[in-house]
Amino acid sequence: MDSLSDTIWDAVICGTGLQQSLLALALSRSGKNILHIDPNEYYGGPEAAFSLQEAESWVASLSDPNSQNNASNGGVFRAASITKPEATSSALKFSRSYSLALSPQLIHSRSELLAQLVSSRAHRQIDFLAVGAFFIIKAPEDPDHKAVLTRIPSTREDVFLSKAIPVKAKRGLMKFLKFVVDYDSEPQTEAWQPHADAPLTEFLRKEFKMEAELQTYIVTLTLSLDGRISTRDGLAIIHRHLSSMGVFGPGFAAIYPKWGGISEIAQVACRACAVGGAVYMLGTGIKSMQTGYSAEMELELTNGVTVKTRRLVQTDESASKKVVVSRLVSIIDSPLNSLFAAVVEGAQKPAVAVIAFPSGSLKTSTGKTWEFPVYVFAHSSDTGECPVGQSILYLTTPSITDSKEVLEQAVQSFLGAVNREQVPHSVYQLYYEHLGGSAGSRTEGQVFNFPTASPSLSFNDSTLKVVREAWREVLGEAATGADYMVFQDREGAVDDEEMYD
Amino acid sequence: MADYGGSQHGIARTSRAQAQTADQRKLELDRIEKYRDLENQVRSYHAQGDYSPDVFQLTTRLLRLNPEYYTIWNVRRRSLISGLLSKPSHGSAPSRASQSSSPSPNITPSSANLSPSSSVAIQPSREVPTVGRTGTTADSCDSASPIKEHGEESTENEQQQQQQDLDLLISELRFTIPLLLEAPKCYWIWSHRSWVLQEAIGRLQRAAARRIWEEELGLVSKMLFKDRRNFHAWGYRRHVVDQLEGPTLGGISRVESEFEYTTQMIETDLSNFSAWHGRSKLIPRMLDERGADDEDRKAFLDEELGMINEALNVGPEDQSLWYYHQFLMLNLVSFVGRATIVPKFNLEERITYMSREIEGIKELLEDYNNIKLIYEALLDYTIMLCQLEERQPDASERADLVVWLQKLRELDPMRNGRWSDVARDYGLQEKITTPAAIKV
Repeated sequence: MDSLSDTIWDAVICGTGLQQSLLALALSRSGKNILHIDPNEYYGGPEAAFSLQEAESWVASLSDPNSQNNASNGGVFRAASITKPEATSSALKFSRSYSLALSPQLIHSRSELLAQLVSSRAHRQIDFLAVGAFFIIKAPEDPDHKAVLTRIPSTREDVFLSKAIPVKAKRGLMKFLKFVVDYDSEPQTEAWQPHADAPLTEFLRKEFKMEAELQTYIVTLTLSLDGRISTRDGLAIIHRHLSSMGVFGPGFAAIYPKWGGISEIAQVACRACAVGGAVYMLGTGIKSMQTGYSAEMELELTNGVTVKTRRLVQTDESASKKVVVSRLVSIIDSPLNSLFAAVVEGAQKPAVAVIAFPSGSLKTSTGKTWEFPVYVFAHSSDTGECPVGQSILYLTTPSITDSKEVLEQAVQSFLGAVNREQVPHSVYQLYYEHLGGSAGSRTEGQVFNFPTASPSLSFNDSTLKVVREAWREVLGEAATGADYMVFQDREGAVDDEEMYD
Repeated sequence: MADYGGSQHGIARTSRAQAQTADQRKLELDRIEKYRDLENQVRSYHAQGDYSPDVFQLTTRLLRLNPEYYTIWNVRRRSLISGLLSKPSHGSAPSRASQSSSPSPNITPSSANLSPSSSVAIQPSREVPTVGRTGTTADSCDSASPIKEHGEESTENEQQQQQQDLDLLISELRFTIPLLLEAPKCYWIWSHRSWVLQEAIGRLQRAAARRIWEEELGLVSKMLFKDRRNFHAWGYRRHVVDQLEGPTLGGISRVESEFEYTTQMIETDLSNFSAWHGRSKLIPRMLDERGADDEDRKAFLDEELGMINEALNVGPEDQSLWYYHQFLMLNLVSFVGRATIVPKFNLEERITYMSREIEGIKELLEDYNNIKLIYEALLDYTIMLCQLEERQPDASERADLVVWLQKLRELDPMRNGRWSDVARDYGLQEKITTPAAIKV
C-alpha cells in the first residue's frame, strides 16, 4: 500500500467501462504510471456481463442508497428486478455458466473499433462471432395464429431469394441499396441533404416510393431505438451495414465478441494495460479529491489510501441523462436453432440474431398501441453467455409507462413465433432501466470526464473520439507524433517455432 | 508460419521493416541453419538413390517449411513408391484391371491450369522406372508373376496391404491440407494431390478409391466457398466429378447433386459466370436422365425462366445473368441439331414464350433505364423473334428499335459501328441521331 501513495501517478482512471478500458489499452505501451480502479468488484462498468449471482448482487446494490450504482449517486441503472418462475427454476444451471451482458451491442465489421483492436494487437485475445440475419416479426392477420418471422434482405441475393416482396418493390429496394452505397457523394447528397433531419421513413416514402413494410425493413437495419431516426443518421448506419457485409465472411455484416460482448473487450483492454505495468484495483473508488495546490491532485480512495496523480479520468456522474431505455434479459430453455442457421453453406454459424417488433405491432394490456419498436437480440450458447441447450434474449425498448409489461409480452409473442410446435419457456428474467446520453466530454482542470454513453444497440464509432481526447490529455506533449493504438505484438505472442524443431 | 505469402527458404517475403533485435536476428540465423541442414540431409540421400523411410520423414519436415521445393516432392514420391506403399507382387489391384478399358485418366486441359507443371514434376521420375501415369510400377518390369485376373478374391495379405496403402494415401492427402491453406496456389501441392488420387485408383479397391475422390470433391467445394468464381477450381471440380461418374470408380451419375450445387452457388452470389455456365451444361443430360416428358420439360423451362427473371429483376447490370437468359432463349429459337430443353415445342409455343420474355424485360425499363444490357437484350430478342416468325419488324417494333438503338448509342458508344449496322439492316439509320454529348 505504501508504494501506492508514494508513486506519482500519471493518471488514475476510475471505472472499467469500455471508454476507460480503451484508454487503458491506448496507454498500455506508454510507460506511464497508471492506476486503474473501479468501485465495483467486477470489470466492465455499464458494459459488464454478470453471472446469475453477480446479477442478484447488482440488483440489490441498485436499491441500496449508499451504493455508487444507485441512480441517485450517479449510477446509470435503476428499477431492476429479477423474476424466476417456480415451474422452471430447475432449468437454471449454476451461476457461473451464465454471462448476462448489461449493454449488448453488435459491432459492424467496418467499425473503427475493430481496426483499433487489430492495430493494437488486442484482437488476438478476443473470439469474434458472427451476427446473422435481421428479422421482422410480423403480427398475424388472424389473432389465433402465431406471429411470423421474416428475414430482412440487405444484399442483392437476399432480395432475390425473398418471397415476401413483390417484383416491382424489389426493384425499388435495389435502387435504394445502390443509393446508400454511394450516399455521401454527388448526386446522392443532393437528394437527401434537404431531408437530413427529417425521419428516414419520410425520405423513403417520398423519394423512393417505399411502402410501409419496406420502410420497416430499412429502419430496423438502423436499430433505431425509437424508430424515428433521422435521414442523415439512418443513411450513415445503413451505409455502414452494407459496406460491412461480407467483410469477414459471407452472409454477415457485424460481429460480437464471445464471453459477454463489449465486456470482453473491456477486460482484454485492461489486461493489456496490466501487462504494460498498470496497477489494477477493483472494489475501490474515490472518496474525495483535492486539486489546485500543485501539478498533482490528491485523491483519497475508499480503501483509505491517498494517492497523488497528474490526471484523473472518470465518467461524469453529475451529467443529466436523457435517454432511458427499458431492458429485459431472458434466459430461454431452448437453443432456438432456427435463428442461428448459417446463411451460406460452409459459412460461419451466427451466434447472434436480431429480431424487431416494428413500431405499432404490440399492444399493452389496456389496448394501447406501443408506438416504438421492440428489439430482440437472440444469443446462442456459442456466445458463452449461457450453457448449451439454452439461449438468451435481450430486449430493448424506450422506457415509458408499461414498457416492462410490453417487453414481457414481446418475449411470449416471440417464443410462440419461433417454435410453433413446442413453445420454449423463459426460465429467468432480469428487468432494468438504462439511463444515458449526456453531452460530450468535459475537462475540469486535471480531471477528464467521459460522457455517459447513450444506450445503443450497435457500437457507435464516435465513442472512440472521446477516448482519443483523453489519451491526449494524459500524454500531453508525448501525444504528438505518437501513433494511436498502433502496437507490435509483444515478443512471444506469435509462436511459429515448432516447425523448426 | 506467420506471413507465409510464398517464401524462399523459410524466410517470409514480406520483410519486417522494423529493425530486428539482436535476439530476433540470432533466431532467424538459427532457423536458416536448421533449414539448410535439413535440405542437405535430403539431398545427400537423394544423391545416393536412398529413399528409405528416414528420407520420407525428412521430406515431411522440409516440405512444411518450403512446399514450393518441387524436387523434394519428387523425392517424397519415390520414397513412397520404393518402400512405403506396397508392391503389388501378384499383379494389379482390382480397380486397376478395369483401367485398361477406360481412357487413361489424365488431367484434361481445362484443369491442367491447376497443375500445368505436373508433367514436369513427374518427368524426372520417368528416367527411373517408377510409377508413370498408367500405374505401372517399378516392380512389374521384373516381376514374372502373371497379372491377377479381375474378380479373383484377394488374399488376407493383400487386404492388409491395401489397408496400409489406404491409410498412407489418406495421410498424404492430410499432409497437404495445412500446406494448401497457407499456399493455395502452389502447383506442386496440387500435383501431389493429383498423384495421390491416381495412386488410389491404381492400388485400392474401388469403394476405397471412390471415397478418396469423394473427399476431393469436398475439398473443391471448400475452395469454391473461399473463392466462388475461381474457374480453375470449377474445372478441377468437373475433372473430379468426371472421375467419380466414370467406370473406373464404378460411378453413378452426379448430375442432380451438381445441378443443386450450382443453385447453391448462385443463391450465395448471383454474379457467377462459372455456376450459370455449369448449370447450362448439366441440363440436357439431367433432363434425359430424369426421363422428362414434354410436360416435365415445359415445367422445367418455366422454373428456370422464373428464376433468371427474378435474378435479372434485382441485378440487370450483371452480364452472367443475361448470358444464362440468352441460353434459355436459344433453347427456344435454335433447336435444330442440338439437345434442347423443349425440343417438341411447336412454333406457336416458341413465339408465345419469346414475346412474353420481351414484354417482361420491357418492364425492367420502368425502374432501370440506363442499363445497356437490357436494351441489348431487347434488341437481340426482337430480331430473333422476327427471324423465328420469318418476318420483318412491324411498325411498333420499329419504333421500339429506334428508341433502343438511340439508348445504346448513348450508353455504349464504343459499339456504335454495330448499332449503325443494325439500324441500316432495318432502314432506320435516319431516325437515329448522334447524341450531342455522349454521357460519360
